[in-house]
Amino acid sequence: MPDLQLWISAVQMGCFFGLLALAYYLVLVGAGFFNFAIGPYAMVAGLLTSYLVVEWEYEVWLAAVVGIGTAVLLAIATELAVVRPVQRRSGSGELPALVAVAAVLFAVQQIAGDQLGYLTLPGQNLLPISPITVGETVVQPSTILMVLVTLVAFAAIAAWIRYTRSGRLLRAVGDSTPAATLLGLPVKRIRLVAFILSGVLAGAAGLLFSTKAGVNNLSGLGWAVSGFLALVIGGSGSIVAPLLGGLLLGIVEVFVPYYFGGQSQVYGMLLVALVFFAVKPSGLFVRRVRA
Amino acid sequence: MTATGDTRAGTGMNRARIAGVPGIGGLALGLLSTALILAWVGGDDYRETLVMTTVTYAFVALGIYVPYVMAGSLSMAYAAYAAIGGYAVGLISAKTSLPLWLAWLIGPLVAAVLALLLGLVTRRLSGFFLAAVTLLFGLAFAAFLNDAAGLTGGAVGVGSLRELNLLGWNPSTYQLMVVSSLAVCAFAFLLDRARMSPWGVTVRTMREAPRAVEAAGVRVPTLNLVSLGLGAAIAAVGGAIFTYSVGSVTPDTFKLDLVFLAIFMPLLGGSGTPWGAVLGAVIAVELTLNFSLPGVALSGTLILAVGVLVVLLIAPRGVIGYADRLRKLVQGRWLSRG
Repeated sequence: MPDLQLWISAVQMGCFFGLLALAYYLVLVGAGFFNFAIGPYAMVAGLLTSYLVVEWEYEVWLAAVVGIGTAVLLAIATELAVVRPVQRRSGSGELPALVAVAAVLFAVQQIAGDQLGYLTLPGQNLLPISPITVGETVVQPSTILMVLVTLVAFAAIAAWIRYTRSGRLLRAVGDSTPAATLLGLPVKRIRLVAFILSGVLAGAAGLLFSTKAGVNNLSGLGWAVSGFLALVIGGSGSIVAPLLGGLLLGIVEVFVPYYFGGQSQVYGMLLVALVFFAVKPSGLFVRRVRA
Repeated sequence: MTATGDTRAGTGMNRARIAGVPGIGGLALGLLSTALILAWVGGDDYRETLVMTTVTYAFVALGIYVPYVMAGSLSMAYAAYAAIGGYAVGLISAKTSLPLWLAWLIGPLVAAVLALLLGLVTRRLSGFFLAAVTLLFGLAFAAFLNDAAGLTGGAVGVGSLRELNLLGWNPSTYQLMVVSSLAVCAFAFLLDRARMSPWGVTVRTMREAPRAVEAAGVRVPTLNLVSLGLGAAIAAVGGAIFTYSVGSVTPDTFKLDLVFLAIFMPLLGGSGTPWGAVLGAVIAVELTLNFSLPGVALSGTLILAVGVLVVLLIAPRGVIGYADRLRKLVQGRWLSRG
């Protein structure tokens, strides 16, 4: 039953896009812009982990911790050294922030290629169990781990935003940054927390997804676009919206090439993007209209 | 070509009137630098390829300058537009018996129309959304070049081009290099003039205060579309020149890296004037293709990326901006002393 196998593949991709979209969502709420460098964070986590295991023979879990840690450091550096100064100087215009993020994206790609090589490395499996076979359908351990991590991450972020002080602060900053500043809330610290969490999410997503087709220093750009699209499709109205957007995009990514062949998923994604931007630019779930 | 006509007509005018033409200083400096670079090339083949690559990058950078620096909308489909110019040369050479120079008209026209269509579809978008959609379009276009093997030759591309024949004149590679370098100067000068014209002032105001421009009776979306189309056409000219000088075109000739370089070049050189885009192209080629320092293991591309961050963070005027400031400073000192 090849269809079920495809659905499993779609769920795995959907969870990956959903995690990336959640990382976008946190930075969007906290800092008010789309951090395209999230794709490269994911790439660095995946590539560095594989590199450490293959070249330096690290333990897989240790390598994974180093990989995700590096992604978090990159996220912190992006906020402190690039985005914050650029936004302070340029005020409300979003073009300088966009260019700065593009420069970060390009720089991370180049540094990764320079230091870790330009070859595609195989992803590392974190769950040492054999694939589960049900009938003719095979479920890889990496897929299981991806789904588990996605569910845990969404539940944890939802709980964090709803029940903790810092989570509520993030929402306050997202509702109106000037008002939050006037009230004396720690806006800068909350922004930094949002960046750190997005680094963790992106790093974990990239690490888990690189088992599917390997990872090289240019993977990040495609991932950045996919995660962005997942957030656009889902909308920023609710915490599950990024996951649903991701799953929808995962279905497109898997089934469009299956029925139309070749590289058609790129056309499919462009079509989905154009339809959503033309018809429903705010996504499927909208909480409120921002003034 | 019109600009060379302008300067030729300019020699007939008296000196004071020439010196009073806005942007003539930039043109003089640009022509001087071009002459120096051409003298440096001599007859060296490798240096010739470097200059041809610089010319290509300069056209792409000048192309993106119009919508991005002047109008403030970042389109990331520039690899696709350059590829259209390239494939125009390849396909006209391989599939038709039309004169090859027509490619320099048809390619930019097709690129401009495509940019207009893409701009119409995305007219409600700006900033990050526009960047993402145009990036996706670039990816889809690259996939299309690979898929449509019947039209584009697939992954192999189009090769063995015919020789260019302009009214009986077959330019050698050296002559082609000189002509295309002069064309870069002409385009930069014209764009500089366009930037200072009423149209340019309107476009630049639109970047800062679109509502004010709309209220003044100018249709902002239309103006945006015009700038997107114009930029795409200029980039396609560069793609056509590159393809002709290399002799073939494949889907990998214009890769996505070109888009990032295109964004960075005007910033590096200085976004105050189109000549900054040209200077940025020189810097980009020098760093990515001709760069090797003994004992430094860093790649030039990496230095380029870091250089852009430095420009963004602490030196927003770019190289030309600071050179101009230095000139004014020196002039001020000199005048006050004398």
